[in-house]
Amino acid sequence: MTAVEPKTVPGEVTTFQVASPHLEAVVRDLAPALRLADMFASGGDATTLRLVWANDTVGQAGYVITETPLETGVYPALSDVAPAAFVEECEIYEQFGIRPATGKPLNRVMLPPHAGPPPPGLPTLGHKPETEPEEARAQHTVGGHAFEFPFGPVRQVGVESLYYGLVTSGEEVVDLYLFTWHKHRGLEWRLRGKTPQQALFFAERTEGLSAVALGWALAAAAEAATGTWVPEAAERTRAVALELERLYNHAAAMAALCQSTGLTVGQSAAEIALERLLRLNAQAFGHRYLFGVVAAGGVSRAPDADAIRKILPDAYGEFERAADALLGTNSFLDRLEATGVLTAGQAKVLGLVGPVARASGLAADARQVPGGPYGNETAIATGTAGDVLARFTVMLAEAAESVRLIGRFLDEGTAEGVAELPRTSGAGLGWAESPRGEALAWVELGDDGRITRARLRPASARNWRGFDDACRSQNVFTDIPIIEASFWLTVAGMAR
Amino acid sequence: MTLWFIRGLRRGVVTTRYPARPDASAASLPTPPSFRPQALTSQTADRLALICPSGALHRDRRVLVYDVGRCTACGRCAAEAPDAVIRSGEFELATTDRSVLIKKIPVRGEAL
Repeated sequence: MTAVEPKTVPGEVTTFQVASPHLEAVVRDLAPALRLADMFASGGDATTLRLVWANDTVGQAGYVITETPLETGVYPALSDVAPAAFVEECEIYEQFGIRPATGKPLNRVMLPPHAGPPPPGLPTLGHKPETEPEEARAQHTVGGHAFEFPFGPVRQVGVESLYYGLVTSGEEVVDLYLFTWHKHRGLEWRLRGKTPQQALFFAERTEGLSAVALGWALAAAAEAATGTWVPEAAERTRAVALELERLYNHAAAMAALCQSTGLTVGQSAAEIALERLLRLNAQAFGHRYLFGVVAAGGVSRAPDADAIRKILPDAYGEFERAADALLGTNSFLDRLEATGVLTAGQAKVLGLVGPVARASGLAADARQVPGGPYGNETAIATGTAGDVLARFTVMLAEAAESVRLIGRFLDEGTAEGVAELPRTSGAGLGWAESPRGEALAWVELGDDGRITRARLRPASARNWRGFDDACRSQNVFTDIPIIEASFWLTVAGMAR
Repeated sequence: MTLWFIRGLRRGVVTTRYPARPDASAASLPTPPSFRPQALTSQTADRLALICPSGALHRDRRVLVYDVGRCTACGRCAAEAPDAVIRSGEFELATTDRSVLIKKIPVRGEAL
């Protein structure tokens, strides 16, 4: 055991050093009480493993980071203790060439299997994997009457490249695995050497549909690293943009649900609401997808409050009318109910976030972390069924709460303002609740104030790992697009 | 389903008349920059090339080469040098010839 037991402080990030021999025991202690929010490595020859733990308890919300210097190319197989760590174990192997001590098979997450050990030109961090590439892909067993049905990466629905490995006996989904590496852009690699302000451009484009959330998380990380205080009015401006982002995303998810269930008129109704919300974004902040609002140290512009007050009620009215009509359509609800079920236990073990986790009964929400503009008045919508319908109703409740919050923030005052970040070394963690769930960013700055290591963890990077479980829960082929729409994830966020 | 059919008919057409008529929302869209050669010095051009996050700008001796195809209309150049750069207001940029998207802007005081 460690001399000091890691504990969270509400609203704070507490960092503890954990020696490598004690790491497994610490993870065993923390996993039942806290959520493993992220795991990543940094450094070159002297690699440090960092685990980010979140306390989701209302009033106690905060983060703990454990730092473990690794002297060798291996570390304990943490996913055996905390399954939420598996995807990151795969990623760390690809980026740094270090792997769990048990030598367990790992999937390819970022780099394609045929790439082999990273050749020059492929974005990577650290040194090369020392093991042959065929060991870097977990084998999927197909037996009995089941067969594997390859689907993607180019698909009719969904503009992002995503490969489904569907194992089926004809109609029922027996197993499903995903290849998400087709659009890997090496963004964490690209951020090295950039100033936080330069890095924001890339953070916003990591997952364009979460531009505000990821931008805010990265900016907050840099502000924490440099001890920069952001004016409260600027924080509220970020929150207005973030809630507008949530609104248009939930409208888009509703349209996708209609499309996946073949309800064309419902899809059009939801897309009318979506288009109005996007136009509102453009009028309020000068960009339909809210790019460029967040700046390192504040915000680059104040919202057009009059435009929001004038347009939002009508735009949200479209959203509400479409939602009400859908909730009154039995043939639509029948497709959603008991489809893609995830239990609270599954969501907790996998460390899922956002509406997906909340629909299963876990009230995790980064807006609850004390210290931000939200205070403790945000209503967190949860469900219990964990199915597509629960996710849909959680999104509808969140949209209503977003409208209320936007009004509150505008009344309290919003303003443009950027505090200059000092050029100093340091490290910090930042977070924001994106429409898909908690987005995290961690940055380490050198003496010149430039990034030496950045970690971006969009909510999609957490929640895709729950998608295959949801699809396997007694669903058939045609349920998969419905489940995918209800998760409302991006491949870009995973394959950053 | 019948109710949805009626609902759709009742809602009517919501699309705008664009391109026959200008779209009212176009005014609030971010648009690529337009450069004022008379205010563009070589130092300013170098500064703009340095801050452009998508590599759309570089200086080639006496001209600033602007690749509209690489520009994301992020507005960083206009914010950096408001005297030399303004937003163009132009967003209809489609072309069948890639070279049309490469603009060469003379730097002040130096012949092209």
